[in-house]
Amino acid sequence: MLEVRNGTGETLGVLFDRYHAPLYNFYTKLTGDRTLSDDLVQEVFLRILKYRQSYEPGTPFRAWIYQIARNARVDHYRKTPRHITFEAEMVAPVMPKDSAQQSEETELLHRALLQMPEEKREILVLSRFQELKYEEIARLLGCELGTVKTRIHRAIQELRQNFKQLERGLAPRDAGPAVVKTIPPRRFGNEM
Amino acid sequence: MRCEEIGELLPDYFEGSLKAGQDSLVEEHIAQCADCREEVVIWKKLSLLPVERLGAGSRERFEAMLSAYQTGRSDKASAGFGPSKRGLLWSWLRSPVGALAWSAALLVIGVFAGNYFGNRPTHSSANQDEIATMHTELANMKQMVVLSMLQQQSAGERLQGVSYSRREDQLDPQVMSALVHTLRYDGSVDVRLAALDALSRHGAQPQVHKGVVDALQEQQSPLVQVALIDLMLEWRDPDAAQRLRDFVQTPNLNPAVRQRADWALSRLN
Ligand SMILES: [Zn+2]
Repeated sequence: MLEVRNGTGETLGVLFDRYHAPLYNFYTKLTGDRTLSDDLVQEVFLRILKYRQSYEPGTPFRAWIYQIARNARVDHYRKTPRHITFEAEMVAPVMPKDSAQQSEETELLHRALLQMPEEKREILVLSRFQELKYEEIARLLGCELGTVKTRIHRAIQELRQNFKQLERGLAPRDAGPAVVKTIPPRRFGNEM
Repeated sequence: MRCEEIGELLPDYFEGSLKAGQDSLVEEHIAQCADCREEVVIWKKLSLLPVERLGAGSRERFEAMLSAYQTGRSDKASAGFGPSKRGLLWSWLRSPVGALAWSAALLVIGVFAGNYFGNRPTHSSANQDEIATMHTELANMKQMVVLSMLQQQSAGERLQGVSYSRREDQLDPQVMSALVHTLRYDGSVDVRLAALDALSRHGAQPQVHKGVVDALQEQQSPLVQVALIDLMLEWRDPDAAQRLRDFVQTPNLNPAVRQRADWALSRLN
């Protein structure tokens, strides 16, 4: 029995190796919270163990995993009311040392993304970062392919507006280098 | 074109799936229109967001979760698991398959193991059902592996998919039609030849015959053409001679292929 248990663990372990990074990035981009994202990744693998019977062999299992991932997040927020802030717990982008300008831009971009309503943020994360095709996203969200494309476009419009506002608010165009001082880049060196 | 119409095209433009004409429409427009251009720019900028990595402790948490879960489960688990059945599963587990197909399979193995060890009653009367279920799940798993590998980008992985399909004595209908499709349309001559070789072992199935014989007219590679001709000769299908007579009429046929077809025809008559 021990051998079999080890075997099952090993197989799920390989699954963990394959999927933990995409799932973790799905959650960090969606929630901006590393601790929560780590918890949610663990939750996904627990659910894979618990609900494996619900997987139909022959169907795309990537979609199945993302379905689990979405549900895990929804259930988490049902239990724990959310309060998104931009404080220390939140994700700060990794700064390339040679490019303060770019790192600032990256941070603004992530803030702009986190300001968006969840639905729009999710569709951007799914389409831009998770290597899911639009058809797969449509299946995942239970909507038409055309709807997915429309939603992506609307989301990108909104992201652009948010980004511009942040840029204006924090970085007047001719104030250039001063900005770097007022918003010191934050790092979480030990975590990267 | 108006911004609205361009906006409808943008998601496909992002994905690189627009037709050539529409592609240049978008590009002409964004060269003129700052608003639409900024949308494209912000989409591209999203790639600047860093890839986050889970901390080192995460794997340990996962192991701990797994072990806690399994400890909870093991009380219920059945002890009866015939060594031959286990041998079947584990020898399959060790077989070299592509990474993607592999992880796909792992999930199903998980499903299988869960069904088997987790939730089933332990009575021996249920054993027959369990073994039948196990066989079905194993078959589905293998089918999924072959089908997913035949869809891979790399010819090497598709080749592995084909060779994996050869392990089965029985050809699953879906795998068979995937192999026929591969024989007809795969971009790599090697993969097409391997598919033909795999199919040639299942000549007893009429649909395999049909797929192979139909593939002749579309083949461009002389190597595959010759292999098809040889197989048709070996099988001696009733309509093989007629097919070959049609085939040798094909303009610009490779001389060596024509020679082979003529030779096959002489043997068939
Ligand atoms: Zn425009």
